Amino acid sequence: MLKSWKLKEVVLMSLFAVVFGIVYLVFVHVSNIWAAVIGPLAYEWMFGIWFIVSIICMNIIRKPGAAVLSESMAAAIEVLLGNAVGPRLLLSGIVQGLGAEAAFALTGYKHFNLAVLMLAGAGSAVFSFVYGYFISGYAALDPSFVALMFTLRVISGMAIAGIGGKFISDGLLATGSLRGYAISRSTKGDARA
Amino acid sequence: MRNLLHDMNPSLKFVLVALSMFAIAFFFNPLTPFIFWIGILLLQVFMSKVNWKAWSLFMLPFALGAFGYLWTTIVFAADTNGDVVWSFLEFQVTAEQLETALSLAFRVMAFSTLSLMFAFTTDPVKFIMSLMQQLKLSPKLAYGVLVGYQFLPVMKDQFQQIQQAHRLRGAELEKNALRRLLGMRRILIPMLAGAVRNAERSAFAMEARGFTGEARSDYFEVIKLRKVDAAMTAVFLLLLIASCSAEYWF
Repeated sequence: MLKSWKLKEVVLMSLFAVVFGIVYLVFVHVSNIWAAVIGPLAYEWMFGIWFIVSIICMNIIRKPGAAVLSESMAAAIEVLLGNAVGPRLLLSGIVQGLGAEAAFALTGYKHFNLAVLMLAGAGSAVFSFVYGYFISGYAALDPSFVALMFTLRVISGMAIAGIGGKFISDGLLATGSLRGYAISRSTKGDARA
Repeated sequence: MRNLLHDMNPSLKFVLVALSMFAIAFFFNPLTPFIFWIGILLLQVFMSKVNWKAWSLFMLPFALGAFGYLWTTIVFAADTNGDVVWSFLEFQVTAEQLETALSLAFRVMAFSTLSLMFAFTTDPVKFIMSLMQQLKLSPKLAYGVLVGYQFLPVMKDQFQQIQQAHRLRGAELEKNALRRLLGMRRILIPMLAGAVRNAERSAFAMEARGFTGEARSDYFEVIKLRKVDAAMTAVFLLLLIASCSAEYWF
């Protein structure tokens, strides 16, 4: 899979992972404190933040694997920073990345419009929820409460990761620094909307 | 003795941590995560040199989170049958509810302690090197991640420069927290544009020095699996089995 990847694309993912790794960490700490007050619901409405790097990287690089690799890299960077959540983040990063990747794979890596990016955000949300259901034991909670958590997370994934990711990658495209990446080569009406 | 956790092979430690988490996640009795939590704490006390002051500081938010978990699980429990052990205003807490709530709270504590143990006893660069050597992570990805890691101080400088540039041009720091959050875009986009340029430059430099990203058999820094690792694996698995079977003893 990595044969077709240029080194500059891998390093780009890594540096984006650093920027967003720091953003992620800030939000982990904010929501941890928040969670003491309102419980696991605290994480749900802002969960989309943690999916954003996979969507931005996939939108820029447009090669199979960009979503899962960038999300795992962001998690790895968080671990490297000596983050307390450590190895647990690596696993959830991989799971979240796989969710976004599944959405892009479903569309055959051909379309990168807002709808597909939002679908990818929802994909991350669904995957990470299934993983969280198991590892955090949501089975012990009231089903209607779990349903509320799930809905909030999917909406957050679509809004923050999907729309936010589109917003940031478009802003970045406008700076002109992305020449030489797939996003600049795309035909009109596909991604440059 | 005090070096054992630090000397362990990082990949092996990672695999053991992941394995324990998946195993513990199947249990909803309070005893299993509690025993595992105490076990990991003891391992850390006797087999590592941890700065306990920093440790407590990191543990605090997780302890708060565990408390949040405790009360939501009590209030929003799936199973509300059983004897009422405690009632408060209109809430009635049954024994079952309390048990699952305690179990989930202890689970948060156990997983956080486990993660902290990994974070406090693992050298980050060695971890990536070991992932490459023991778990066959592609060198392209491994060195890619390390480049990102080395760029951290550069990123910090860039962040300050962009802030200063904004201030020079008269852009005030927003006082409203929400506005400041939305204004993050003004910092984020230049940061990312800088990251794109740095990525291109360093990838070019790496390739110019002969980095191909292909799998290799020789490494400058060799990380091995040793006898200590086998012993530590046995210790971890014993603890895991002990805590998973805890329900049957008591």
